[in-house]
Amino acid sequence: MSTRALSGVSDGQAGASQYAVEAHGLVKRFGENVAVDQVDLLVPRGCAFGYLGPNGAGKTTLIRVLLGLTRADAGTMSLLGYAVPKERDKALARVGAIVDEPRFHGHLTGRENLLVLAAAREPAARDRVGPSLERVGLTRRANDRVAKYSMGMRQRLGVAACLIGDPQLLILDEPMNGLDPAGMHEMRDMIGSLVAEGRTVMLSSHLLDEVERTCDAVAIVDRGKVIRQGPITELLAGSSLEVQVECSQPDTARALLERTTIPARIRAETGGLVISLASGTGNDTIAEINRVLVESGIAVYRLQPVQASLEAWFLQVTSRLGAED
Amino acid sequence: MIATRFMELRRRRGLMIALIGVTIGIPTIFLAVRLLLHALAPKTYGPAGGYNIYTAMVAGVLYVFGFIVAATLGCTAGSVDITEGMFRHLVVTGRSRLALYLARIPAGLAIIVPLVAIGFTVVCAVCVFAAPKSIQYDGVKVPPGLSLSGLENWAADHADTVVCQFPYNAPTLSIPCGNGPGGGQVFSGASGSAGSIQATPAAIKAQAVQIAKQDYSDYSRIFLYPSESLMIKSGLWIELEAVIGFTVGLGLSSLIGQRTVAVILMIILEVILTPIFSRVHIPHLSNLQRAVVGLATAHLEPGRLPLAFGGNRGGGSGSGSGVVDLLPESTTVAVCVIVAWLVGWTILGAWRMMTRDT
Repeated sequence: MSTRALSGVSDGQAGASQYAVEAHGLVKRFGENVAVDQVDLLVPRGCAFGYLGPNGAGKTTLIRVLLGLTRADAGTMSLLGYAVPKERDKALARVGAIVDEPRFHGHLTGRENLLVLAAAREPAARDRVGPSLERVGLTRRANDRVAKYSMGMRQRLGVAACLIGDPQLLILDEPMNGLDPAGMHEMRDMIGSLVAEGRTVMLSSHLLDEVERTCDAVAIVDRGKVIRQGPITELLAGSSLEVQVECSQPDTARALLERTTIPARIRAETGGLVISLASGTGNDTIAEINRVLVESGIAVYRLQPVQASLEAWFLQVTSRLGAED
Repeated sequence: MIATRFMELRRRRGLMIALIGVTIGIPTIFLAVRLLLHALAPKTYGPAGGYNIYTAMVAGVLYVFGFIVAATLGCTAGSVDITEGMFRHLVVTGRSRLALYLARIPAGLAIIVPLVAIGFTVVCAVCVFAAPKSIQYDGVKVPPGLSLSGLENWAADHADTVVCQFPYNAPTLSIPCGNGPGGGQVFSGASGSAGSIQATPAAIKAQAVQIAKQDYSDYSRIFLYPSESLMIKSGLWIELEAVIGFTVGLGLSSLIGQRTVAVILMIILEVILTPIFSRVHIPHLSNLQRAVVGLATAHLEPGRLPLAFGGNRGGGSGSGSGVVDLLPESTTVAVCVIVAWLVGWTILGAWRMMTRDT
């Protein structure tokens, strides 16, 4: 397992810990099934952190363990520097969370549901109900019964429920679920604004594209194990680089390049080649490819390096793990 | 937090309609119909209120329905946060699960106690203000509330009626029925003696006074309407039953995590198990039977009410009447059983809420 501490994302906020979430050797079993398997996780303060994994990877279970909704079988963890479960109450006083789909009392209005939750927090939380509803754009529907809300409105009400505690850390489980494209855009903007205020947002998702657009850093989880974590830019920088080449005589070009010492995997595609280079490959290698082809009389129409997307990288990492198994 | 828990329960329209309907609606409709019928045909239909109606309503309706309604509310309060997905939101606020559980108790009681009180007040009001004007003692209209001397005086004034119609337990009746002024030779009496003895009016009066003296004990237990002390005691008693129903329902539904099964179990306890365990004496299990909360509350029932489960209080007095005695239990034991149920179910419910995975 390759895990390491994140760096370069923390805003240096004062506190007992530089990490909003810190977990070491966390294990949660359901009978024979290990849902969370020796997870080490470090979420720096003041960033948007994505917890990525396919369905059934153990994302929600980890969140439930972190929030004290279920007990860990082994390991240690802390939220905002407070050990959980020992100082869980202190920690959660400054945490807002949505776990699974946000569900509320359907017979109460959105505002009344928030009042119920605010009553369980400090007295000032009651004063934040109105502003929270306004922030998530639910003021106009605040006095409607939640039973009449759409899924997207419930998601937004869930975020409002998080905000009434003025949280330093928000943990959102699949916050994009049920949102239309406009809603996803709004959610993305909201998460960005929360991070801009110095809050930490940890979100779990299987929507890689959304996470790439929203988050600064990610952890990849598969079958209960965190297999990679770090800032997205650093993780992708460590992935392979692909060069798309459009040229005449692709088969000849492929044969030529395979005879050189350039470290690459080459495959032919319609009208050209796709060349996979090892991570850290510089522009000199790309220029060398171009020189070999041109000097051999092959016309090069287009030569474009393509950085792997998070989705491609994720599939690459998880499929490799699967192959190792 | 208690106020918002109260609001959450109060806003359940269907539940509240059911609660109000059972605790207030049923007695109100029943009494309203009786008032109407009595107003339309007073000779056919008796007064809507009175002592007998009161005891029947309290022991037969408010006691059982109050418990079931309170249990339903308790089961709802104990399970809806889980079934509606709100429990997670509440837990992640950081507030202790114990506090979340305990807040439901005053919130629920703040609903059920006033509801039962309103229903009870309706019953009391009608039973007092629409009570009959005179009481019937063995078919004879007798002024209510007489002292012993008052009843003796009244008996002396109505000697013939008293001698003929009042029950009298004596080896012989010295003055047979029918000797009054204008009376024929119609002999009857408890002793069944027969003859044609003519008695003086003074002797008849003396006999009537003697009968009244013997019957005063029974007479004094007949009331036009319930006394204030009885109303206070029985009001507190049905409120106690409601508190037990709510608290046990809350604990049970919190323990099993859902409402419907808990409500069914509570109804089975109240309507089936408690009457059986209260009246059937099972050898070697009598101490277990005494641990049934319904039996304990039955033993705390105010003395002038008919027993909720239809028996006599323990002691064997009912053995000859065909009515089975309640299993004997001291007041101290009854109180201990009730406290144990309240505390025990609260601990069980709170423990489950504190340890439940959500």
